[in-house]
Amino acid sequence: MVAMAESAISIRNLTKDFPVGISGKKLRAVEGLNLDVGDNEIFGLLGPNGSGKSTTIKIVLGLLEPSVGACTIYGKSSRTVAARRSVGFLPEAPYFYRYLSGRELVCYYARLCGVGKAGLAHDVDSVIDLVGMNEAAHRRVGTYSKGMLQRIGLAQAIVHDPQLIILDEPTAGVDPLGAAAIADIIRELKSRGKTILLSSHLLAQIEGLCDRVAILHRGKLVSEGRIDELVAEKQADSFVVEGLEPGGHAAVQKAIEAEGGRLVRVEKPRLSLDAFFLNEVQKRESAHEAAVVEKEDPK
Amino acid sequence: MSFLSPSRIRLIAANTFLEAVRQKFFNSLLFITLALVASSTFFQQFDFGTSELKFIADFGFGALFFFGSILAITVTTQLFFNEIENRTALTMLAKPVHKFDFLAGKLLGVQLLMLAFVCLLSFVLAGILYWRETVLMSQFGPETFSEGRILRYGDILIFGFLQWLKFGLLGAITLFVASFSNTNIYTIIVSFCILVVCQLQYIARDAYGDMEQGVGRLLVQGLGLIFPNFQLFNVGDQLLFTSQEALPAATILRITLYACVYIAGFLLLAHLSFRRREI
Amino acid sequence: MKFDHPILLRIRAVVLTLVFLLILGLLTRPLEAPAWKRVQAGQPELNLVGMEGALGQGIIVGMLGGFRSIMADFLWLQTNVVWQDRERAKLDSMVRLVTSIDPRPVFFWINSARMIAYDVPHWRIQEEGGYQTVPEWRQAAIDREQAEQAFAHIRRALEFHPDNPRLYLEIGQIYLNRLDDPAKAAPWFLRASEQPGSPYFAARIYAELLRRQGKNAQAYDFLKGLFLRLPDDEPYAQKGIILERIRELERTLEITPAEAFNPSRNT
Repeated sequence: MVAMAESAISIRNLTKDFPVGISGKKLRAVEGLNLDVGDNEIFGLLGPNGSGKSTTIKIVLGLLEPSVGACTIYGKSSRTVAARRSVGFLPEAPYFYRYLSGRELVCYYARLCGVGKAGLAHDVDSVIDLVGMNEAAHRRVGTYSKGMLQRIGLAQAIVHDPQLIILDEPTAGVDPLGAAAIADIIRELKSRGKTILLSSHLLAQIEGLCDRVAILHRGKLVSEGRIDELVAEKQADSFVVEGLEPGGHAAVQKAIEAEGGRLVRVEKPRLSLDAFFLNEVQKRESAHEAAVVEKEDPK
Repeated sequence: MSFLSPSRIRLIAANTFLEAVRQKFFNSLLFITLALVASSTFFQQFDFGTSELKFIADFGFGALFFFGSILAITVTTQLFFNEIENRTALTMLAKPVHKFDFLAGKLLGVQLLMLAFVCLLSFVLAGILYWRETVLMSQFGPETFSEGRILRYGDILIFGFLQWLKFGLLGAITLFVASFSNTNIYTIIVSFCILVVCQLQYIARDAYGDMEQGVGRLLVQGLGLIFPNFQLFNVGDQLLFTSQEALPAATILRITLYACVYIAGFLLLAHLSFRRREI
Repeated sequence: MKFDHPILLRIRAVVLTLVFLLILGLLTRPLEAPAWKRVQAGQPELNLVGMEGALGQGIIVGMLGGFRSIMADFLWLQTNVVWQDRERAKLDSMVRLVTSIDPRPVFFWINSARMIAYDVPHWRIQEEGGYQTVPEWRQAAIDREQAEQAFAHIRRALEFHPDNPRLYLEIGQIYLNRLDDPAKAAPWFLRASEQPGSPYFAARIYAELLRRQGKNAQAYDFLKGLFLRLPDDEPYAQKGIILERIRELERTLEITPAEAFNPSRNT
């Protein structure tokens, strides 16, 4: 557990029980959770369905009350409305008022969060620009695709310039290009000093994005720390070698054994499928755009 | 970030109103009610003389009362549960918005809708009555209308206003039921039952006077105190005609204050219940 | 013992809610009671004794629930249908039902009285064979029976509307037009003329009925007093016609010019 000067989120001994019917039985969703999310980091909350991620997020947002324990956001109890002034939230599979345009929607939420009329237009325009929704902002939300909904959802979450942003499955149902765009926005937010807590099933994305992660299972914390530290094979080192002659494998193995080591395996280094896909698609996108430009202006 | 923020409540109310006017149910019911009120011109076939105006007024007031009550309950229920089921309530309450402001905004939005409904119907009814009265004046000559028109048109607005207050109270009751209910249908049924009890509770009070001391009398007295008296708002048959004594302003003021106190009371109950609700 | 079992928590919530509403009811009583007293004064008691069979459950609840006026209006429309179909027995019960549910509109009382006094005798005579077949004494008996029923009906109306001149006029007109009895009609026209808002013709008809009975002196005195009471600037008062009648009676009573009525001297 990493202790920070002032944690963005500090959870102590959190337990949440849900009553089941009127029989007095209870379902324990979270048990004895202790967690800190540091300032200006991207923190991933992982776990299978039913592990307590959503319950934890709702308690952080003050939408649920803990049965035992406490949660604070920058030192303020998460049960107070004041704590939410510093929080922006994008729910899973967001649904918004279909009859409003994207801009109207972001304006509405900005005003609810107390953004003054003086800076409203500027703040709304800048977040719409950040999420890349300039061209569609005038259209009704009911006409948006899944990816557009996620992006306008992100805009409404950050329009009031919160310090902490909580994203629940931000890339669920979004294609890899869209997901990559959202990941870029998240990195941009971090560079602006924001703290992001995100919950996701898409481990490949978490791996490329998060500084630290926590893994929940049946309501309990099973693991927490920096990704590099968690996934590293502690007892082994890997060397990536280029231009080695086929006969050189034996010599390398001999050298390793001379130093007391053991060659475990030899394999080709791999790009992630995500990275390979993005490379291929982006290359072709650039080629297509160049062809279109050339066609329009043969000079 | 204060509790009871008028600007937030207004914002939520405006958005609720926008959502409500788009609802097919509201538009259908409005159309039906307007058509019914307009159809009251059918009474001219019966040749009732100036009494035709009474028939038109009774019909119009009855339509406003009946359909307005249905609308108040169903629209409040629908708008509340839409927020819960679509999880837009989640997005909103994750913001620095008090649950009370959310409820108050919802109720105010419904009241704006009911105001539009009441105003439209009142003006249509007033228009029909004015037209028929003019026709009857030319038909029956000046002796029948020797003291001018026989209708007090301001009374239509008074009736509309009192019914609007009653719809607000009904909306607050529905919101309270919705705050602990899990489904639309349960909310609508329970709210309609409460409407019927409130409408008839004055009978319990009248009966109380005739009962002997005992558990029955206590229960009846309790019933008369627990449920608000909706019959207080049904003054349509005492309004409108100049031959009848006008309803005193003091009575109208008392009824208004009574409604406001009860609306605040039920809103508070809804808040206390909704505070514990896990979304 | 922990008091957190869900059933106990729910019971507690219900009890607290009821207590809160009870307190709210008590606190608002000072506002509600005077307002309710005033509103209730305008809503006469429903007299449903003997009517429950004729009324369905829905109608009773509807009336009690604030649709009283509109229920009465719809039942009146039904009464008109029954009247068109000449269903005598049903007309009688419908008329009593409508005026029991809502006795406030005078319109219901007067029109139903007219149906009883004017239309039903005609139906009964037709049922018994028609005007050519039914002897005159029998026709007169039927007229009298129906007239008495109409009078009883209007007397019930007078319990709710003791000051309404139209009800007195209606009795007078039935005596005059159906029973051809100016002696019995006259007092009713007089009483009508004494009610607030009475039409001017009521007094004139009373005087005319006195004259028809040969009570010229009484008619003469009455008309003189009437002339002086009536406003000069009211065309419907028809003071010119009254003065003509006074002059006619002076001729009949052989009153000398010196003793003749002089409006300017007597004002």
